[in-house]
Amino acid sequence: MTMPVTIIMIEDDEGHARLIERNIRRSGVNNEIKPFTNGTEAVKYLLGADGTGLDHKGHALLILLDLNLPDMTGIDILKLVKQNSFLKSAPVVILTTTDDSQEIKRCYELGCNVYITKPVNYESFANAIRQLGLFFSVIQVPPAA
Amino acid sequence: MAPEIRHRRTLGQILLLSAGFFVLVVISTASVLLVNKARSDSAWVVHTVEAENQINALLLEVRRAESGARAYLLTQSPDFLRDHEAAVAAIRPLLDRLATLVADNQVQVQNLARLRGIIETRLSQFDREKALVAAGDLPGAVALVRDVGSTDSSAIMRATAEEMRGEEERLFAQRTTTADKSQQLATIVTVVGSTLVVLLAIISVLLVRRSTSARDEAEAKLRESNLNLEATVDERTADLREANEEIQRFAYIVSHDLRSPLVNIMGFTSELEELRNDIFRRIATLARAVSAAPPPAEGAEPELEGADKQLSEDFTEALGFIKSSIAKMDRLITAILNLTREGRREFVPIRIDTRDLIEQIVSTLAHQADEANTTIRLEPLPTIVSDRLALEQIFSNLIDNAIKYMKPGVPGDIAIRARTKLGFAIFEITDNGRGIDPRDHQRIFDLFRRAGTQDRPGQGIGLAHVRALVRRLGGTMSVASELDQGSTFTITLPINWNASNRNSDR
Repeated sequence: MTMPVTIIMIEDDEGHARLIERNIRRSGVNNEIKPFTNGTEAVKYLLGADGTGLDHKGHALLILLDLNLPDMTGIDILKLVKQNSFLKSAPVVILTTTDDSQEIKRCYELGCNVYITKPVNYESFANAIRQLGLFFSVIQVPPAA
Repeated sequence: MAPEIRHRRTLGQILLLSAGFFVLVVISTASVLLVNKARSDSAWVVHTVEAENQINALLLEVRRAESGARAYLLTQSPDFLRDHEAAVAAIRPLLDRLATLVADNQVQVQNLARLRGIIETRLSQFDREKALVAAGDLPGAVALVRDVGSTDSSAIMRATAEEMRGEEERLFAQRTTTADKSQQLATIVTVVGSTLVVLLAIISVLLVRRSTSARDEAEAKLRESNLNLEATVDERTADLREANEEIQRFAYIVSHDLRSPLVNIMGFTSELEELRNDIFRRIATLARAVSAAPPPAEGAEPELEGADKQLSEDFTEALGFIKSSIAKMDRLITAILNLTREGRREFVPIRIDTRDLIEQIVSTLAHQADEANTTIRLEPLPTIVSDRLALEQIFSNLIDNAIKYMKPGVPGDIAIRARTKLGFAIFEITDNGRGIDPRDHQRIFDLFRRAGTQDRPGQGIGLAHVRALVRRLGGTMSVASELDQGSTFTITLPINWNASNRNSDR
């Protein structure tokens, strides 16, 4: 496999998106980040033109997902990804403000890999992102020559 | 039914009953009077008959005396004389008896007086006859008898007696009629009275039946309106519950959505902090370059001087206020989130030995209690059916508060006691701590409000939370306290709480 991991960031709040991106970059991850500000566009991209997800066959994807989206909930996208045979191997990181244990449990049941509550405390937030960055670097595949 | 009609009906029934009672009294009185009258009438009839008998008896005795006297005159036999004497002896008592019997009748009294006169005359003639016979003057005696016979004294006597008898017969007829009349009257009164009573009874029965049906109708209406009331109450309760849930949802969404911008504010404030460091480092480097001072050693932080330093400190101070405010806001939002989450949690009623439960709480708080030099006493506590987690939160909040707000330097004493009353368990948590000003008794139950000296960490959430929990468990709570006099928190919880009154539609 020679393709680098593409980070799909589905986050409607541009500020959050910017903060996440900055912190990812700051922790030394240079993978491509594809931002989406609503669920519909993200789903369109993920499933591709034919709606099967075939476009991403063999692509290495990592999905950063916010649960509160204007047009749908992140849970719907999570279900969709985990039910699609081409996408279900992509790790999903839930990044949200909700720290409701029921919600967290639900996400893990649906197959999310990491659940990160967006803390307002900047230090721990940056720390969480940095750890995520380490995670990325571990799974990062060297780009093709 | 209109009230005035009901009133009139009641009045009618009372009047009817009174009338029936009155008629009964009248009939009874009339009966007694009439019976008495009939009795006296009969007595009078008997009296008349007796008087007549006496008259007959008197006449008989007079005849006997006369025939005795005549026989004696003919035979001079003492036997006849004795017969005569006996008859004469019977005459006077008979006269007297008759006199008493007819004393009530003036006519008869006069008649009797006349009769008595004649009889007395006759008796004196007998005496004279007897005397003549005894003297052997038979012709004289015979002459006397003839003389007497020539007078019509006997006829007069008979006539008088007849008159008296006639009078008595007239009286007899009269009194019999009267007695009959009395009897008839009594019968009529009884019959009329009975008819009246029966009539009244029938009317009463009709009225009672009517009011019974009216009552049944009213009962049916009452049942119906009760059902309506229940339906209305259910409806309102459902509305309230919906409104409450709406508020919960609202609070949840609002607090949740407030966090989102807060993340940005905090994040970019930190970004600003980073920028500040970069800017002032650059300023320091530039200032140093301008003042031609030797460049700092590799890695060393360039120093700011004068106005630049002041600027940097102002910058830091402003950022510090922003950050601490954000942190506070975040805590508040988290508190609201937790409260609403608690409000959405479903309560599960189970049997709980509150003594066990509170002992566990006390053991987890033992360290804090030791530090505050406080002892916690548990008195016998009941077993109730309630939600375990809610009870744990209620009691741990209250005991924690009691330990937290002890008077400095005074050994603390916390007592937890309970009693049961009318299906409720009443818990009292009493401490000898610093107490609460009565003015603040309402305030301490409000969210984010605190009272007294603010020397302990806290958000002002505990008691608001406790009260919300107690209410959801169908109970009430109150506080009794004075400054420096300690506090007593009283919690009343149903002994057998079931979720039905709260969660039936969830």
